[in-house]
Amino acid sequence: MTTQGGVQYSKIAEIKGPLVIVDDVENAAFDELVEVLTSTGEKRLGKVLEVGNGKAVVQVFEGTTGLSISGTSAKFVGKVMEMPLSEEILGRVFDGMGRPKDGLPDPIADKFSDINGEPMNPEQRDYPRDFIQTGVSVIDGMLTLVRGQKLPIFSGSGMSHNILAAQIARQATVVGTKEDFAVVFAAIGVQYSESEYFRRSLEESGALKRSVLFLNLANDPAIERIITPRVALTAAEYLAYDLGMHVLVILTDMTNYAEALREISAAREEVPGRKGYPGYLYTDLSTIYERAGRLKGRKGSVTQMPILSMPNDDITHPIPDLTGYITEGQIVLGRDLFRQGIYPPVNILMSLSRIMKDGIGEGSTRADHQEISNQNYDAYSRSQEVRALAGIVGKAGLTGVDLKYLEYGDDFEKDFLSQDIDENRKIEETLELQWKSVSMLPKNELTKVKDKYIEQYYKEN
Amino acid sequence: MTSDSRLEKTVDKILNQTENELLTSLKNSFEESKETLSKSLNSLEQEYDRIIDEGKKESEKIEKKIIGSSDLESRNKQLLLVEESVEKVFDKAIEKISSANRNENYSKLINNLLDESTSALGTTDVIVYTNSKDKGIVEPLLSKFSGSELSSETIDCLGGVQVKSKDGSMTFNNTIDARLERMKPLIRKEIATKFGIGN
Repeated sequence: MTTQGGVQYSKIAEIKGPLVIVDDVENAAFDELVEVLTSTGEKRLGKVLEVGNGKAVVQVFEGTTGLSISGTSAKFVGKVMEMPLSEEILGRVFDGMGRPKDGLPDPIADKFSDINGEPMNPEQRDYPRDFIQTGVSVIDGMLTLVRGQKLPIFSGSGMSHNILAAQIARQATVVGTKEDFAVVFAAIGVQYSESEYFRRSLEESGALKRSVLFLNLANDPAIERIITPRVALTAAEYLAYDLGMHVLVILTDMTNYAEALREISAAREEVPGRKGYPGYLYTDLSTIYERAGRLKGRKGSVTQMPILSMPNDDITHPIPDLTGYITEGQIVLGRDLFRQGIYPPVNILMSLSRIMKDGIGEGSTRADHQEISNQNYDAYSRSQEVRALAGIVGKAGLTGVDLKYLEYGDDFEKDFLSQDIDENRKIEETLELQWKSVSMLPKNELTKVKDKYIEQYYKEN
Repeated sequence: MTSDSRLEKTVDKILNQTENELLTSLKNSFEESKETLSKSLNSLEQEYDRIIDEGKKESEKIEKKIIGSSDLESRNKQLLLVEESVEKVFDKAIEKISSANRNENYSKLINNLLDESTSALGTTDVIVYTNSKDKGIVEPLLSKFSGSELSSETIDCLGGVQVKSKDGSMTFNNTIDARLERMKPLIRKEIATKFGIGN
């Protein structure tokens, strides 16, 4: 923070969508914070997107509704947008811009950090390894989340991704350690009822005191959504690297973020890329997703779980497509499972946790974890094929083994995949359920697990 | 053998048979009920354990919730108290500043503020606004800034100056109020540290 205040310019050349173009500007800096002052004395925040030829293009976070060329002025503050940080932010609720929303004063800051973060030195990055127990069997058992990982949830409109996100936020913990664990929750363009659900759900589980909430509601200005994930990640980085906590960041819904980006891009008359999103969508998303990880010599970690709803459930849509390039796997929610009333409706065949192997096994979960997970993956895949076959030839046309797979598929979805929204399963319970499911198959069908594990864990009927 | 004695024998036989059947059936029923009882005892025990387990989980949940909310509540009350005290300190400081003597040091401060403002605007061709109290201090200092003039209008502030370029396109607010507002987050931290909060 500088003591030098900024100059206030009153020559507004144009107001276009969320942008204000200010004339005769000298000494403005890229990304500099701007206070846009209206004739009624109202103050709105913005940032410099472009400078040059005596003009500055300012993106107004709170929108330009009601602004007019005469009477509006822009004060260039002389610094980038910063977030006041201290341990006090835990248990607090902020709006999408990082301002208190819980009726309490601004946190008394230990430090002020640039919301754009500092890029992590790739050489200083530590490989993500330790297991995070979410208490959700399908995630812990087959799509294990690891400290420092970025694992998105790809969902569709109306599906239970927010319920799943809240459950993970309530239950997530690092097993067997007394290290501090915190949750940073950023709601981007969600409805009031959803934001209340998140808040209440964390409050009722007692998890609010180790959480920080940033809520940008659906009726808040869309442009503010550009800032929400950044302030949330700034808070997460502080908790992780300054206070040594292990932080899980949940960002929902990143589709709303990308749409805000598209709005700005259209207002700037940029050449549109796929589906009207800017050509730099990939680069922009990476500035958010790449803020997850661990640093050598630092105690804490930032683990990210961005949630995005795929328009028309289309996984090839630019947002999930580009997200998938950056993140380390994905959890895909399936419409069919959701329609059957299965919660969480995770389609494991389309899901993957790329660095799961480094966070599981002896010493962290259990020695048979990887193998039993592979076996379930294989068996569920076969059961889906058998289901499709039964739809054509009928059950009568299936072999005895096929029928067993059919039974297995039903049991897997009913007992392993399904669980209550407040059911917190330990990893041991999850692994037992995996063994219970595969024990419906004859032993000779279990080709992905070692015999010693079969002897130890197979449940004879 | 008379037909009566034969009949009696048959009746006895039937009675014996029925008695045996009844006894066997009773024995079986007894065994069955014993078995059912032992089985239900098992499931009863399981049900009992389940209820106890769920109750335990629920009580743990409630305990966590109560502890979590009371921790937060007390922390939040502390935050509000600190804020109240910080505001009091601010009010006192403002009171002190507004009644401060306009001495030589103050004149130096105004000179610095003018210097800072004109260099931020990049010109000395400016109109300077101040409050009625400071007019007398600002006016003689303007001779150092060629092209500058003092506005006849006064502004409502604690002290300091507001400088506007003559074409009206740029303004630099260097009043004490504006500086306090800019520095407020840092000052709040300083005050809170004095109360033993933060680093």
